[in-house]
Amino acid sequence: MKKLINIRYFLIGLGMSYFASSCVDLEEEVFSEVTADNFFKTEEEFISALGQAYSSLGGLGNHSGLWSINEIASDEIVVSHKGGDWFDGGVLLQLHQHEFQPDNPFFQNSWTFLFSGINTCNRLIYSFEVLDNPNSPAFVAELRALRALYYYWAMDAFGNVPIVTNFIDEEAPATKSRKEVYDFILAELNEIIPLLPVAKDATTYGRMTKWSALMIRMKLYQNAEVYTGTAQWALAAADASEIINSGPYSLMPSYRDNFAINNSQSTENIFVYPYDKVFARGFNWVMMTLHIVSQSTFNLTQQPWNGYQTVEEFYNSYVDPVKNPGVQGPVWTGLALAQTTGTRDGRLSNFLVGPQTRADGSTLVDPGVEPTDPTGRNGDPNGPPLTFMPYLNEISPGGLRQAGARIAKYEFERGGTDNMSNDFVVFRLSDVILSLAEARFRLGQTSEALALVNQIRARAGNLDPFTTLTDENLLAERGREMYVEMTRRQDLIRFKKYGDAWWPFAGMNRPKRVHTPGSFLELFPIPAPQLLANPKLVQNPGYN
Amino acid sequence: MKKQWNFVFLLFCLVCLNIPNLSFAQQSQITGKVTDADSGEGIPGVSVLVKGTTRGAITDLDGNYSIAAAAEEILVFSFIGYVTAEQPVANRSVINVGLAVSVQALNEVIVVGYGTQERKEITSAVTSVKAEDFNQGTVNDPRQLLQGKVAGLNIARPGGNPNAGFNMRLRGISSIGENAEPLVVIDGVIGGSLSTVDPNDIESMDVLKDGSAAAIYGTRGSAGVILVTTKTGKTGRTVVEFNSSAAVENVARTISVMNADEYRQVPNSRDIGGDTDWMDEVTNTGLSFINNLSLGGGSASTSYRVSINSRNVNGVGINSGFDQLNARINLTQKALKDKAIFTVNVSNTSIDREFGNENSFRYAIISNPTVPVRDPNPQSPNFGGYYERDIFDWFNPVSIAEQNIADGRDSRLLASIRGEYNFTSKFRGAVFYASQRETDWRGSYSPKTAKFGGGFGRNGLATIENNVRLNDLFETTLNYDETVGKVGMAFLAGYSFQEFFNQGNYTQAGNFLTDAFTYNNIGAALDFANGLATVSSYANSNRLVAFFGRANFNIEDTYLLSVSARYEGSSRFGENNKWGLFPAISAGVNIANLIDMTGVSAMKFRASYGRTGTQPGQSYISLLRFGRSGNFFYNGQFVPSYGPVSNENPDLAWETKDEYNVGLDFVILNNKLDGTIDYYSRVTTGMILPIIVPVPPNLFNTTQLNIGELQNSGLEVMLNYKAIQKSDFRWTTGVNFSTLSTNLRSLSAGNLSFGTVNYRGNFGSPGQNLTQLIRIQENGPLGQIWGPIQEGVSDTGAPIMKVINGTAVDANGNPVYCNCNDDRTQLGTAYPTLNFGFNNTFNYKNWDLNFFFRGSIGHSLINSYRGFYENTESTTVQNWNIVNTKYFDPKITKAEYNSTHVEKADFVVLDNATLGYNFNLGPGRTIGRIRTFLSVQNPFMITGYTGVDPEVRYGDSESGNDPLAPGIERRATYFTTTITTFGLNLSF
Repeated sequence: MKKLINIRYFLIGLGMSYFASSCVDLEEEVFSEVTADNFFKTEEEFISALGQAYSSLGGLGNHSGLWSINEIASDEIVVSHKGGDWFDGGVLLQLHQHEFQPDNPFFQNSWTFLFSGINTCNRLIYSFEVLDNPNSPAFVAELRALRALYYYWAMDAFGNVPIVTNFIDEEAPATKSRKEVYDFILAELNEIIPLLPVAKDATTYGRMTKWSALMIRMKLYQNAEVYTGTAQWALAAADASEIINSGPYSLMPSYRDNFAINNSQSTENIFVYPYDKVFARGFNWVMMTLHIVSQSTFNLTQQPWNGYQTVEEFYNSYVDPVKNPGVQGPVWTGLALAQTTGTRDGRLSNFLVGPQTRADGSTLVDPGVEPTDPTGRNGDPNGPPLTFMPYLNEISPGGLRQAGARIAKYEFERGGTDNMSNDFVVFRLSDVILSLAEARFRLGQTSEALALVNQIRARAGNLDPFTTLTDENLLAERGREMYVEMTRRQDLIRFKKYGDAWWPFAGMNRPKRVHTPGSFLELFPIPAPQLLANPKLVQNPGYN
Repeated sequence: MKKQWNFVFLLFCLVCLNIPNLSFAQQSQITGKVTDADSGEGIPGVSVLVKGTTRGAITDLDGNYSIAAAAEEILVFSFIGYVTAEQPVANRSVINVGLAVSVQALNEVIVVGYGTQERKEITSAVTSVKAEDFNQGTVNDPRQLLQGKVAGLNIARPGGNPNAGFNMRLRGISSIGENAEPLVVIDGVIGGSLSTVDPNDIESMDVLKDGSAAAIYGTRGSAGVILVTTKTGKTGRTVVEFNSSAAVENVARTISVMNADEYRQVPNSRDIGGDTDWMDEVTNTGLSFINNLSLGGGSASTSYRVSINSRNVNGVGINSGFDQLNARINLTQKALKDKAIFTVNVSNTSIDREFGNENSFRYAIISNPTVPVRDPNPQSPNFGGYYERDIFDWFNPVSIAEQNIADGRDSRLLASIRGEYNFTSKFRGAVFYASQRETDWRGSYSPKTAKFGGGFGRNGLATIENNVRLNDLFETTLNYDETVGKVGMAFLAGYSFQEFFNQGNYTQAGNFLTDAFTYNNIGAALDFANGLATVSSYANSNRLVAFFGRANFNIEDTYLLSVSARYEGSSRFGENNKWGLFPAISAGVNIANLIDMTGVSAMKFRASYGRTGTQPGQSYISLLRFGRSGNFFYNGQFVPSYGPVSNENPDLAWETKDEYNVGLDFVILNNKLDGTIDYYSRVTTGMILPIIVPVPPNLFNTTQLNIGELQNSGLEVMLNYKAIQKSDFRWTTGVNFSTLSTNLRSLSAGNLSFGTVNYRGNFGSPGQNLTQLIRIQENGPLGQIWGPIQEGVSDTGAPIMKVINGTAVDANGNPVYCNCNDDRTQLGTAYPTLNFGFNNTFNYKNWDLNFFFRGSIGHSLINSYRGFYENTESTTVQNWNIVNTKYFDPKITKAEYNSTHVEKADFVVLDNATLGYNFNLGPGRTIGRIRTFLSVQNPFMITGYTGVDPEVRYGDSESGNDPLAPGIERRATYFTTTITTFGLNLSF
């Protein structure tokens, strides 16, 4: 019997020992991520945390975010519905037609981009304040400047947005009026501008400086009438002058060099987001704009998407000999069957037009080209050899695949990937010069204004100086210089042209919505998922 | 853990020493005839066994047998469907026996959580399927054995991909947030992998359908539980079984497209000059061979069963199939005067896979039929001699399948040991330990010349992936049985500890000098030097701890009551909600024992309530975590930046499901008809979903929250009728069906909401991204297929969509289609309203014939092929082929998803028809049984659906099987197949 008892104890003992050791412990052990408990202990870890405030900016160069909504809603860019491609539920057409809908995912993407950035800044400001490190005041000022940039974008796109500055605030924030947001950003900038670094070197490259902060303030003043109802041209002129006169920037001799693959040497770029095909991915314009077979032109690792195109009228504003006087010569226009005579503006490097070749120079054929059908509706006049023509036949559904000048502002890398290595220019000196010109013009100082505009025209190359300045030629010059730098929508609103009809939209059952200056459409709608997530948010007027 | 392993081997040695010594007493030859006690006709195939030995015989066609036995020995006569009889030899030389038909429906053993019960004692909704009722033919996945057999359990694998798994859904869908597949328990191992079990080794599969039956599995019981019991050795008789089969697999269904001549007639077609049947080019006849050998037997103290299973399977797709080898040992050893019982089960599986490429089917359907397979004048760039066209979304289908390599090697080990000790005849305790190790290796390579798969653009692209999953389970249980007066009582108490650990790595790199290495020398990729390679690794773990108990009361098989509870904690729950209680109660009364009804053997009413849970599908989602978020340009160089990847939710809890079930089990018409009827209603609350939250104040834009309420109800009926029961002719017919209705009552909790209306299921490229197909709506059924209604075709060939709400107007103020959700509506439902199975078995002399129909009614599918390619838009025509179903309208020149692409997908399929022949073997032979069979799977299907496969789609195959986007047939669907199997079963 003794043996039996031993076995019995053995079994019970086995059970009990397991019971005791494993017990009822349900703590989670994390292996491949970090929690607040085991992070933010070293200097390097803090710097990497600071980095997130900036790496949030990586969304700038993607399809479907803040850049897309600003550009497609302007007269610069269209993404036409090509054959079966790029309809995508109609959201791209709706943006260009100004039929803005709160459930358009592009708005949600933009909002998330902006407020994640704001929140990251708040979190890090809180951390650095608690940390009380010798570097903390400098980091905090820098983060407040970056937060001001996100707020400036948010206020410009959505107008009435919540203001949150306190990271540990647990309450969901309520909507504030555009004026309140404007005042908040201004107050922030006024406080931190004296605290920010002024050097232009490796330590401030891709970081917020006094000059970037001044530029945000200049933009606030420049658009003050739109934002608040009261113009602030003198203040805008003062900030612009300070950047031009005291800042460490000068115009590059070549416009194009500001957008080269290695554009970090630009003397003109004030604030950039440094992209890299290895380290900082997400700058996808090469995919967004190039034709599928352009893969062979640039020996790309991926097939491009054949999406983003330039609106023909906008392209024509470069080559029109009357509106843009200068050296005349062969330029591509219209159907691109042959070159015609027009102004050879040096900034035509912004576009890829005309016949395309393989990397070795041989003919590049687009086997997917639309044949010339008897109705002529879908016929591609250039045939199978790939030719980008400035001409846009229609927006939907039968947009030709080779139609539209392509966005070549940033140099494409031969053998590149879907991620470009060019640094994305957010602020640039020539914008400041043109803004100063505009402020002077509005203040009646026309000759100073004209000189500033002609400074930009002279640098562009092949152009004659303007002899007079008008609303129209000033806006057109801004357009040519600032193409796809995310200023066009704002410029059109300020110049009261945003509601105009742009081009006939052949093929659509509805043309672009025409509206008057001050229309509710000058703000994008608050994204539907945000309204759902935060009941304190109020939809912008006109969208309910 | 090492200790346990030593123990296993020790035990194994112990058994080897204990092989039974057979003693031979004075024996004489006994003969006799076994007959049906009712009809008096002889029964063939009855097992006659000398009790306690391995000596046995089987009756011949007339029921006669002959066996050697000593006077003091006892003969045991057993046959399926009859009550087993015992006869002492007692100096007789002729022993004739009449066997009584058993009311099997009442006495069969049902496996329930942590135990077994007889069917007459069951008070919850449980269905047991035994090996003899399993689906036949070529069955490589245990799930397939049950397909269509259990009312309420839907098992589907769209298409015939041999490497794809079957989806299982019990009683519709119990959760929209987390995994909705039933929990699998293999011989007590919770979360056992079904690929550790060969279908040939399964004795029974028991499905716990209602909340009361599943509640003993706590936080993992909500989607139902399937208990798999493997075969074990039987005391007294050595059985050697050998099964071998060969199968031929052919394409059954694709989708109709134009041939080269038809295509050339279409305006704008691009005639390249060839004439290619692409579907034929990317498929071939799949040959499969399956062999299974098992040895089983046992003495009074030891029983064992060893099996080895080999499967060599080739699918119809080029380079698709697998080779699988599985070995299993199930061993039971009694010790200490039979008071201690040790059970050891060890199973090992290795599978070498070739995945082929489903995209070759996709592009075979849409490829221009005038394109030749091979390019007669290969030019630059080099595509390996295959004809390629430099247009968007065009890839040579044969090149896809032949040039890209995708291999896998899976390894599965499941080992368990159970020690049980009977302290007294009423009181016993057990300790159970199990460990499962699964490793999956994947290697793929796309050569420089492959346009599809990245090889061309990346100059050769290799991928290597490894994943390891470990599952360790420790449980102890105590059982106490007592009878007080007329009340039989059974008590169970237990403790369970389970730990899971997963880890893996992934490497993808391109730019090779040569294609020679494929994936075998990934370090040769120049991408590493250029920083373009992708390398990642991960690890995660989770743990479950539970206390559970159950009490059963039985008053003379008439009044039955069962009460159970599991108190369970999961590491995945938030800090404030680590433990949950999952109680259940069920009761039954057998009317037949109270009222005398003619021909009624049983008539049991049951009612039950049970609460189960669903734990989060991932670890750590209640924690605030930081992860890599790109790089930051700091002082002239890039440094990594880190940021939050999740919000904290210390209140995160399990999803809770409360389920009520009423049922009726009956055996009537003198045991000819038995059946079960169940009605259930279940409500799931606190579903775990990622909810968009405002940022700030939150760090991350979604938080995992418990929200919402989902209600399901349905009726399930299973009937089995023994229509003819003659000795040389028997016909049994069975039918089962189930209905389902769902209502998503809420998607909100307080201020926060998943959205009262949500849309899922992006249609895709070209041109139909951001086109949502499925609506999820509060207070509506699940699985609403959503879109605009086409009501005509415009002069330019664009579909004219119906204006429903008229919120948009044109320049003249007339209402126009708004291209928004105001002008879209529900176009169908993704879930069937009725599922059914219909089975017939005939036995005539040596022949047996079985055929089994299965069907689903009421569901619709979005036919993606038609939505993109059934139009004459000029780019569609010149780039691709045109889908050419009965719906084709040449006037339509625009691909835009609408109501015409949503089709009713009701179907009835002859899942399986098997004809078998049992050879008549004379007495005294060494071979006990020879059976040959011919089986056809899926020989025909009745459906109006024009796509590839009308099977229900429970999730979206293009977005991680998203359960919120059911009902979409995507373009990469594997063609369905018909399998013809010839097989041989031997036993001796």
